[in-house]
Amino acid sequence: MPASAREDRRPVLSRIDLVARGAWILIGVLAGVYWVHQVLRGEAYERQAENNRLRRVPVTAPRGFILDRNGIVLAENEPSFTLLLYRRETKDLDASLRFVAELFNRTFDDLKHRVERDRSYYDFVPVVLQENLTISEVGAVQARALEHPELVVQKTERRVYTQGTAAAHLLGHLGEATAEQVAARAKSRPLDANLPRPGEAIGQQGVESMYQELLAGVSGSRTYVIDSFGREVGESGHESPLPGNTLRLTIDLSLQKIAEDYFADKVGSAVALDPKTGEILALLSAPAYDPNFFTKRVSRSEWEDIVADPDHPLNNRVLQNVYSPGSIWKPYMAYAILTHGIDPRERVFCPGGATFYGRFFRCHGHHGSVDLTTALQVSCDTYFYTMGKRLGIDAIAESAGLFGFGRPTGIDLANEKSGIVPSPAWSLAARKHPWYLGETISVAIGQGPVLVTALQIARGMSGIANADGALPTPHLFHIGENVRTGERFVYRPESKESIPYPPGAHETIVEGLWRVVNMPGGTAYGSRVPGLDLCGKTGSVQVVGQKEAKKGHLLPEELRDHGWFASFAPRDDPKIVVVVFVEHGEHGATVAAPLAARLAEYWVAKGRGGTPELLAALAARPVGHARTD
Amino acid sequence: MSRLAEILPRRIDLHILFFALALTAIGIAMVVSTTAGSPRGDLAGKQIFFAVLGLIAAGVLLAIDYRILLQYSPGLYGFTLLVLLLLPIFGKRIAGARSWIKVGGGFQVQPSEFARISIALLLAWILESDDRALLRSRTIAAIGAAIGVPVVLVLLQPDLGVALTYLPFLAAALFFGGIPGRWWAVLIVSGTLAIGGSWFLLKDYQKDRIRTFLDPNLAARGAGYQVRQARIAIGSGGIFGKGWKRGTQSRLGFLPVRHTDFIFAALAEEWGFAGVAVFLALYGFLIAQGLALARDARDRGGSMLVVLLVLNIAAQALVNVAMNVGVMPTTGITLPFVSYGGSSLIATWCMVGLILSVAYRRYVNV
Repeated sequence: MPASAREDRRPVLSRIDLVARGAWILIGVLAGVYWVHQVLRGEAYERQAENNRLRRVPVTAPRGFILDRNGIVLAENEPSFTLLLYRRETKDLDASLRFVAELFNRTFDDLKHRVERDRSYYDFVPVVLQENLTISEVGAVQARALEHPELVVQKTERRVYTQGTAAAHLLGHLGEATAEQVAARAKSRPLDANLPRPGEAIGQQGVESMYQELLAGVSGSRTYVIDSFGREVGESGHESPLPGNTLRLTIDLSLQKIAEDYFADKVGSAVALDPKTGEILALLSAPAYDPNFFTKRVSRSEWEDIVADPDHPLNNRVLQNVYSPGSIWKPYMAYAILTHGIDPRERVFCPGGATFYGRFFRCHGHHGSVDLTTALQVSCDTYFYTMGKRLGIDAIAESAGLFGFGRPTGIDLANEKSGIVPSPAWSLAARKHPWYLGETISVAIGQGPVLVTALQIARGMSGIANADGALPTPHLFHIGENVRTGERFVYRPESKESIPYPPGAHETIVEGLWRVVNMPGGTAYGSRVPGLDLCGKTGSVQVVGQKEAKKGHLLPEELRDHGWFASFAPRDDPKIVVVVFVEHGEHGATVAAPLAARLAEYWVAKGRGGTPELLAALAARPVGHARTD
Repeated sequence: MSRLAEILPRRIDLHILFFALALTAIGIAMVVSTTAGSPRGDLAGKQIFFAVLGLIAAGVLLAIDYRILLQYSPGLYGFTLLVLLLLPIFGKRIAGARSWIKVGGGFQVQPSEFARISIALLLAWILESDDRALLRSRTIAAIGAAIGVPVVLVLLQPDLGVALTYLPFLAAALFFGGIPGRWWAVLIVSGTLAIGGSWFLLKDYQKDRIRTFLDPNLAARGAGYQVRQARIAIGSGGIFGKGWKRGTQSRLGFLPVRHTDFIFAALAEEWGFAGVAVFLALYGFLIAQGLALARDARDRGGSMLVVLLVLNIAAQALVNVAMNVGVMPTTGITLPFVSYGGSSLIATWCMVGLILSVAYRRYVNV
């Protein structure tokens, strides 16, 4: 067979056999490598391949409405039209932008900048060019749809606060979630699978923030198939969002509106609540801002204008500002007096002030001989100076603590201030110096280092209004309602706190507060309403020293006293507690009491089944300033 | 005629033909899968056309007595060198390399692919003339030169992938020709030093630079991207694969150069480990049958020609399969019969034609 006789082919043949075996071994080894990757690690690679090809784009759920206690809408969603630019369909970006610029009367550069800034890595994710299109604008865009397929009008939902600035502070507003907010929520709610995404609109401030989870619903998603260039080539899945729950608040919008109207030209706060349940019926801080303002993109300068406003419209003054209580502190002093062995019939002579610890403390009047009830009625400082000295600061602090001062009330709103109930221990810890005995005399009339929020005053006043001394937790949550199932859930925060009254003590304080409004000589006699049995206490807080204050109305507004009025009605079966605070309002009796009286009158009339005509008339009649008697 | 009809099927090795046809068919199916619906959707049709041309070329080579080709091999080889030499001047530049000659109709020829045939013929001719148990030094030098010169010319284009396909010739020629053990030692030591040593002396960025210089595709999205995506494609295929034209990695473009260098990863993704096993078995049988034919060749020249060609195809295939799964560096070596490419497919079928020609004439009385 071999062609050449010389050749010995055996070595070649054995080498061929060797190579054949070697080839099979190599093939076996390679097959083994593929086995490892495809069979042993196949699932891990499959996940990587899925990650490569699928992009999950979240779909925000419709946010739950916010209603007042009667079902009147405070916050809802409105269809809104947004103009989107799909970069993938764009043939000539400049031409598209020129068309949009002309239609919306905007500059080309502005649009161009927006496209540059907001363009996503994936070209199927559109850029928002213009929000809140009018119907005619929608028509104008759609008329040119064939020419500009890249411009798409998308129907979205926009949060609308139907009442404008009314109840702005308690409602809060929506804003883009910051990375820190998302991280904080993730930390506080480790099991929450529906965390907001950075940049998504979430509740900021108010109940929008407090009940974010309840209102937000559960996001759905669309899953897109994309290619290696990030182009969308199909949709592989769709998960519908679950709409948010409706939130019914304890607020009564008509009550709120009466207060809003009154505060239109004032700075201050008002809060009304049901003393038995703690349901907040009205809560207002003035000046307010329009929460709708935050629904659109807020520009930097607009934001700075709000922040730089000297009246701080973003602050919720009801619970985020602390003030000296002034004379509205006296009912709580009265409790300390009644529970520390002092006879309420004991009389103190007021010659217009008294000297304590070598210093003269002035009273705003010459009240003569007063007992506790009269001292409340006429707001006699001398009486409370005298009793304050006898009680000592610790007894005062103890009583104030019982009424909830010095700590948050527990309202379902964030960033509530605690205020200060001063004591020697507090002085050493906070001020690094010992308590001065003279300070006790100031604290006895609500001046000095004592600081409170209007909400704390309202809660404390509930402890006085309720004969059993119950101290409720103020809250805005009334009823949550699942819009799909109709299921309702009511939540009322439990408060086990109450004020223990020795026999006769409650009646004594209430009698004093009733006389304030209903007896001649009472500091709020000008605001009495026949048949209402309004009980209350006026207060004025000095902004400057008493010498300048004597000049009264000549002072510029920012140096005038703040006016307080804390009240409840009716006397025997209290339905409402109202606290009104007017910054630089001079006297609580003249500027704060009239509104409190009107709110109480309205609410009590409503509770007694007042006709709509009567209620409408009450709501419509302007609240005037009371005369100082 | 009747006699021819009787002997042809017996003389033509139907096993080799079947394996080669099966691999080519799989290749066309994979070119369809990796290009259908894309702007390159016309490539599948072209690949079928190239396969037909390859079959015709194989038929022509089968008809010519390989001994005549061996006799003329120095001339063929010389002509090949001339073409490779002129290519840097007249060649068409594609992807940074002057490896192509325009032939009209939108087609180009890659002479370096066809050069493999004339190199194999020349080597077989050289080995035939030295048929002792061990090769003479002169023969070894001639073999080295016969491979070294075209390697250098192709590297100048530059086309590392094709140049590397010439190297199995060196190993095969020396192994089957037979060289003393000390020569193997010298070759292995110097080869290891040259390749490994220079590689380990380089810094990482220099390696990347060389990689991306030799294969610009690597630069596009980072050197590791291709290898990673190919492995995801292969691994995600699992046991039975995602189905023909359903490979997400390949169809959505995550798999790089999926119709050429990485077509095997696309096959692994769509047909799974089952497809990989069948495919590797086909290659194994092709190699085994080719080597069996080399044993049966009537003369040393034919025997050497067949082993050179079989080992060339086998080495390319196994390196490509290894490269797809990332156990060898990405070098731009295509998968014979399967990867898209006219010159590669036709040249590979020419090699099949030569193997069939040697087998056809294995009996002395023809």
